[in-house]
Amino acid sequence: MRTVESEIGSILAGSISEITQRSIFRRLGGMARAQLQHLSTQDRHAIQAELESSVRLFAPAKSAQLIASCARALALLGAPAAGGAPASHLHRGAPAAAGMAAPIAIGKDQCLAIDSEKDIASARLEAWSEAVRIGMSKLTSVKVATAVSELARNIIFYAGKGTIELRPRQDHRETRLEIVAADQGAGIEPEKLDSIFAGTFRSERGMGKGLMAVQKLVDEFQIDSRPGRGTRVSCVFRGAR
Amino acid sequence: MKPRNEQELPIIRIRDCLLVSIQIELHDRLALELQTALAERVRSQGVRGVILDVTWVEIIDSYITRILNDIGKSVRFMGADCYIVGIRPAVAMTLVEMGVELDAVSTALNLDAALEKLELRQ
Repeated sequence: MRTVESEIGSILAGSISEITQRSIFRRLGGMARAQLQHLSTQDRHAIQAELESSVRLFAPAKSAQLIASCARALALLGAPAAGGAPASHLHRGAPAAAGMAAPIAIGKDQCLAIDSEKDIASARLEAWSEAVRIGMSKLTSVKVATAVSELARNIIFYAGKGTIELRPRQDHRETRLEIVAADQGAGIEPEKLDSIFAGTFRSERGMGKGLMAVQKLVDEFQIDSRPGRGTRVSCVFRGAR
Repeated sequence: MKPRNEQELPIIRIRDCLLVSIQIELHDRLALELQTALAERVRSQGVRGVILDVTWVEIIDSYITRILNDIGKSVRFMGADCYIVGIRPAVAMTLVEMGVELDAVSTALNLDAALEKLELRQ
């Protein structure tokens, strides 16, 4: 059975780790398991939009190519040959890819080096003032600072050093602050990652709690970690416009 | 006597309580020093409670929460009560959302309220 998950998964394989793919599909919910020919145009657009923002965030270098491949797969596989919806239904309206405006930058991206314990406090402050600057509420700004604090601590405790990138964005609906924490540390084994998010893992210094806390605070959360190659946590805070 | 570290947190005695106002960044070593100093003074001075004032702490993450809980536990083991006062509204809401617990300490709105609660327990 050709589902959205199986088709798109094979395109993303190799560029986006399996665990990140899984969370993308989790966000798509029931649509991920739907058979392609049963999708409405609206669903197709929603899937395309979701894939675009995820791919931009997690595989920025290959995003254009991946987005195009996904769009092609979604369009081709839903074509009448598959025995589903008529062509007129599929091609009505603007193509999905063109319909979605990419979020635009509303300020400079900042890349903060996290090299020592004192960088935790300054990263937190930097994130806080960026959130305030782009008009996020007081509460959201505190949440942003708290999440950055957790991410910076994990970098110092487990990888020694790394970076935290802050990217202020705006799309047609909302203001977004994208936060990407990356390090080249030991990485986390998939089983350990699963137990962290199942809430069963406790390290001596409480890392499990930190990652779980971040995941609960943010609106979008992805983690990509490969043993021996490091960890990359990408998350997004949304603020109403 | 141990040389005085510029980053040490002053412990103030008020009635039969100890008060620490946290105004600098807590880190592992400082937290452990504070925990030790408080346990020692609870024993030597026979105080009834320890109050940690976090009015000036703008962000409390899971790591700081763990430090506060650890201090609370050791103070309780010594037979005293540990109060956290001055948690800001946004910090409280963030802690709820993160799902972390401050279960080894009691809380009060401010210093007055904590002193009152401790006195009532007499």
